[in-house]
Amino acid sequence: MSSHVSTESEKKKEKVHRPSRATRLFIVWRKLKKSELAIAGLGIVLFMSMVALLSPIISPYDPAWVGSARQPPSMEHIFGTDNAGRDMLTLVMRGARISMYVGMAAVLVEMLFGIGIGMISGYFGGIIDEVLMRITDVFYTLPILMVLLLAISMFEVRALDLIILVMGALEWPFMARVVRSEYLSLRETTYVEAAKSMGASSWRIMIRHILPNILSVLIVLATMDIPWFILFEATITFLGFGDPRSSSWGVLLERGFPHMQYAWWIITFPGLALLFTSLGFNLLGDGLRDALDVKVRE
Amino acid sequence: MTLKDYIIRRIIVIIPTFFLITLIIFSLIHLAPGDPTRVMIGPRGLPPELREQVKRELGLDQPIPVQYLSWLSRLLRGDLGFSYNTKKTVWEMIAIRIPLTLELMLVAEGLSILMAIILGVIAAVKHHSTYDAAASLWALIGYSTPDFWLALLLMLVFSLWLGWLPSTQALTAGVTFATPFHALFDHLQHLALPALSLTLVWTAYLFRMVRSAMLEVLSQDYITTARSKGLKEWVVIYKHALRNALLPVVTYVGYSVGLLLSGAAVIEYIFAWEGLGKLMVERSDVRDYPALMGLSIFIAIMVLIANLCADIAYAVVDPRIRYD
Repeated sequence: MSSHVSTESEKKKEKVHRPSRATRLFIVWRKLKKSELAIAGLGIVLFMSMVALLSPIISPYDPAWVGSARQPPSMEHIFGTDNAGRDMLTLVMRGARISMYVGMAAVLVEMLFGIGIGMISGYFGGIIDEVLMRITDVFYTLPILMVLLLAISMFEVRALDLIILVMGALEWPFMARVVRSEYLSLRETTYVEAAKSMGASSWRIMIRHILPNILSVLIVLATMDIPWFILFEATITFLGFGDPRSSSWGVLLERGFPHMQYAWWIITFPGLALLFTSLGFNLLGDGLRDALDVKVRE
Repeated sequence: MTLKDYIIRRIIVIIPTFFLITLIIFSLIHLAPGDPTRVMIGPRGLPPELREQVKRELGLDQPIPVQYLSWLSRLLRGDLGFSYNTKKTVWEMIAIRIPLTLELMLVAEGLSILMAIILGVIAAVKHHSTYDAAASLWALIGYSTPDFWLALLLMLVFSLWLGWLPSTQALTAGVTFATPFHALFDHLQHLALPALSLTLVWTAYLFRMVRSAMLEVLSQDYITTARSKGLKEWVVIYKHALRNALLPVVTYVGYSVGLLLSGAAVIEYIFAWEGLGKLMVERSDVRDYPALMGLSIFIAIMVLIANLCADIAYAVVDPRIRYD
């Protein structure tokens, strides 16, 4: 009961000197709009998301459709056909689904670790912080490609979700450090003190009171990490450690590599799709960082 | 605390880190489902009677903690392990492969640091100019480009289409060279494409770092003071600003060693450059797990040492660092 009252009164207090959520969103949007590059990035991200969502409907051919092999780009096959005679445009559009899924799912896994560890470390401090930060350092030092190859080659199933899980579980240390330093400074604020004095539990303060205040940092970090995960999955897949059943852009590149001398389009378009998507997220990430006034080291 | 104390403390911290790393690498291999001997030699596996023998030889019939301790004690005595597939010790494999990796690393890292500093300083000094905007956009594109795809394009254009440069390996096979210079020239031609692929992507990454560090430094008061003293602009930029702006670059170079030792794997793989990264990929492919464990530990130790050097260099260069 008492904690319920405390949040109600806090909300009222917030209203007095803080603009509403909608107004704050509008302010951020107005700042973001000023940067042409950020808007271009947003456009690219939205475009690729639409392609990913709608590809089963809008792709010109069925992914299993087979014509004559290695046809150069033409009106019928804008991106040409691959070594097996499948339409490259269709494959690239289907690949968008997988790559976007990889990026977003891996970021969610990363956030689970990064926020969890950073939050506990920064809020409680002391010996817990010391131990967690040592562990974070270790993960920060481990060369990620090496550990990933090690982990993936040890599992006999090469499933996409496993790769996502391993990538997310290895790439959180930077996020954890940023979250930790935010909690370290925010736990000294008066609103945390007020919540504490009203008997709110540590978990409640960490999740209900502090977490919403670092949302902008998290949004920026997540936007910047999505392209990293997409490129990383493509790299692993290209090396032959991907999910052979998926048809991500990495798989297309892996299969195209032996034939590229006679069919440049087989490797060019999946790579361009990767570049385009990652550029979009990076532009948007830079724009959001400036608009939300977040300091994240490059 | 003096610098010496700091260095000693920093070295002591490495010890628990090292043990944690061995624990992680060991767990990754031994906690994966299935028995390592089953995946050891390709998907076909070993015949059952040989499997039992290999298991005994590797100590796999022992409890997991015992296995870890015996592996650790061999490790501490400098034994990285033995690969049953290649019939070589891990040290032998590393010794053969490391020169090419180091060469590629030094060339690509050196070139990209040089280019990034030059381009980054100009961009920061001419902030808001067309050059700055163009260079920044170019760097963002470079930063977003998958390095292995860039390598494929370079190989396609310069090697397969134009035939200017060789596409694989470090020397033309089956040719006897008239003089060592001919051999060196041939080698440099082979080095060109892998080095270029890495340099282009890293320059983009480092450029962003140098530019933003320079911008931050240039806005500080002591720069205004230096200018108001009537110092020449280049003195202000190179002697006052750049030295401070390079600090994050120093740290980055330390941390990039891990990236370079294993992250260049995909480039080594594409150009059949017989380095450590390619070795890692090959051994993973056949699940040669004793070799993988030894290699991983070796790379991890290199990274630890590089980070230590970077931290010490940082502390030496920047006296403002408080040693805590």
